[in-house]
Amino acid sequence: MTPEFLRAVVDTLLPGEQGEAPLPSGSAAGVDLGKHAETVRSVLEAIAHAAGGGPAFARASEATRVAVLRSVEQELPDAFRALVTPVLADYYESPAVLIAFGWRAEPPQPQGYTLPPTDEGTLQRLDRVKQRVNLWRE
Amino acid sequence: MARAIKCEPVDVVVVGAGIGGAAFCKHLSERSPSLRIVCLERGGWVDPSTMPAYRPDWQRSVLSQWATAPNLRLEAVPPSPSADYPIDDTASAFKPLMWNGVGGSTVNWAAHFPRLHPSDFRTRTLDGVGDEWPFSYFDLEPYYDLNDAEVGVSGLAGDPAYPPKARRPMPPLPLGRLGMVAARGFDRLSWHWWPVDAAINSVAYGGRGSCNHCGPCLIGCVNRAKSSVDATYWPKAIANGVELRTHCVVQEVVIETGRAAGVRYRDAGGRDYLQRSAFVVVAGNGIGTARLLLASGLASPALGRNLMFHPAAYVRGMFAEELDGPVGPVGCAIYSHEFYETDERRGFKRGVHIQVTRENALLLQALRLEPAWGRDAQRLLREEFRHSIAVLVLAEDLPEPNNRVLLTERTEADGLPSVRIEYALSEHSRRSLDFGLDRAEELLRAAGAYRVVRLPLAPLTGWHLLGTARMGSDPRHSVTDARGRCHGAANLIVADGSLFPTVGAVNPGSTIGALALKIADDLGREIG
Repeated sequence: MTPEFLRAVVDTLLPGEQGEAPLPSGSAAGVDLGKHAETVRSVLEAIAHAAGGGPAFARASEATRVAVLRSVEQELPDAFRALVTPVLADYYESPAVLIAFGWRAEPPQPQGYTLPPTDEGTLQRLDRVKQRVNLWRE
Repeated sequence: MARAIKCEPVDVVVVGAGIGGAAFCKHLSERSPSLRIVCLERGGWVDPSTMPAYRPDWQRSVLSQWATAPNLRLEAVPPSPSADYPIDDTASAFKPLMWNGVGGSTVNWAAHFPRLHPSDFRTRTLDGVGDEWPFSYFDLEPYYDLNDAEVGVSGLAGDPAYPPKARRPMPPLPLGRLGMVAARGFDRLSWHWWPVDAAINSVAYGGRGSCNHCGPCLIGCVNRAKSSVDATYWPKAIANGVELRTHCVVQEVVIETGRAAGVRYRDAGGRDYLQRSAFVVVAGNGIGTARLLLASGLASPALGRNLMFHPAAYVRGMFAEELDGPVGPVGCAIYSHEFYETDERRGFKRGVHIQVTRENALLLQALRLEPAWGRDAQRLLREEFRHSIAVLVLAEDLPEPNNRVLLTERTEADGLPSVRIEYALSEHSRRSLDFGLDRAEELLRAAGAYRVVRLPLAPLTGWHLLGTARMGSDPRHSVTDARGRCHGAANLIVADGSLFPTVGAVNPGSTIGALALKIADDLGREIG
């Protein structure tokens, strides 16, 4: 399980995006599969095996890596899910990713959020509803 | 088993400190202050400062310690603060959700707080399906009002979907962009909509502050703006003299010659106790109550049967405009009862509740995609996040004896028999859901959604555990009478959602609280 192989797995799961509104890849966001490697060792070995070895997987094109992961996902769905879940959790909780999604890095509390007040037009439209005859039965 | 330690006998012992047990204890202790009341709760208090919303890893907590399903929490490392027991749900279309501790499922509920409709109490007479409640909406109405005041409800009076309600204790929570966009759709269709009644403070109330719209109500409310009965009913009940013993798992209601003599329970240290009592009240939810009463050998053919959830499904609509995303209380914006009452032209009896809800946190939105990984998943998530509205459809389950709670031969770590649920979605429920999904889709398109995605069934929505110890007059088909007294043991009382003969199509918390207050009143009137 070389760092290159683990990084290739992470970046195939989470490739990110380039361009005007970039989204970091998994490894660029700091996701370290090494810390989960022991608990998901069997599925990582299956990925390496399906690719003809860890180095081969790391060197392969994105299309090939995706095809390998799909085949392993199909073969070992539960184990694959057990790999994906912690990787996605690390990624979608990372500050860089939260900010790239237009969110904020801080947790919900203590500051909370502000909701816009309900506008007058909406409240006036509620008058239409108020005028309706009873919608309930005795 | 070692000999049980005998506790000093009391007047009333209550099992379970959720909304039913809390409302019951507070009300009875107030109306009959001379009674000695003890409540036994299998879990403990949750310190709000330990809830996940302060932590950067808060999103993943719903996958482990703060998962909604006890079966998932039981796998959590470190352990969840909820004192759970496993439930074999492999034969159920819906997975049971709950919290086991002081406050019960109000600790992690969404606090959506509608009432049943008057027709929900009379479905057999009005529509020829289900069964009658032994009393009417209007009999329960004073208790609904009392429960609203105790729990604290934000909302708006004047809703034509209900008989006139008293002025709500607090103004409604803001609808947010999401609510206003959805309201636009309802108005274009000329359908009913109304701001939800929510057990969440829109302003300071009851010694608790107002909601700061942080979003994830299901991982507990750190600032107590969301009402949970550990913060509302319990402090008052304890001040009234009720003794709440936590981490005490009741093993058995001791039934001797057709009467409850008390309960046998086990504390956190594994010691067994016998608590004798003139009355035993069980409020452990539709699964926990049935499990305990079945384990206690209560002879009642309807016990454990007629398990009802509210079958749930979603339609999500994607909008070009930016919406609130996960900001704001998750279950709150607006709802519609345009289709709540029966219209036989729809091909089914009874109706559906349509509720506009908020988005999940980013991680959950990501894990919901299939597949959840890869370039396409990430692009889709970027397109949808903060641009979607989820419309929840709740249908009315009808009572069916084959949907049930039963025990197995196994004994769990908590000392009680293992519990299994069997529940199949009926054709009636499926038709109701499909009708509701069509309407939800129509609504979202009218509101401006450019794309909609249906989730035809949402298995992880089994919050509402109802009907397994139903009220009625015939002991062959019901477990208790109208006062929650078991037919097989008159001083054994049920005070939770197990009692519901039918369930309407709305969240039951408001009705469970009101019902528990009524049962406390009924008992207090009798014994002073």
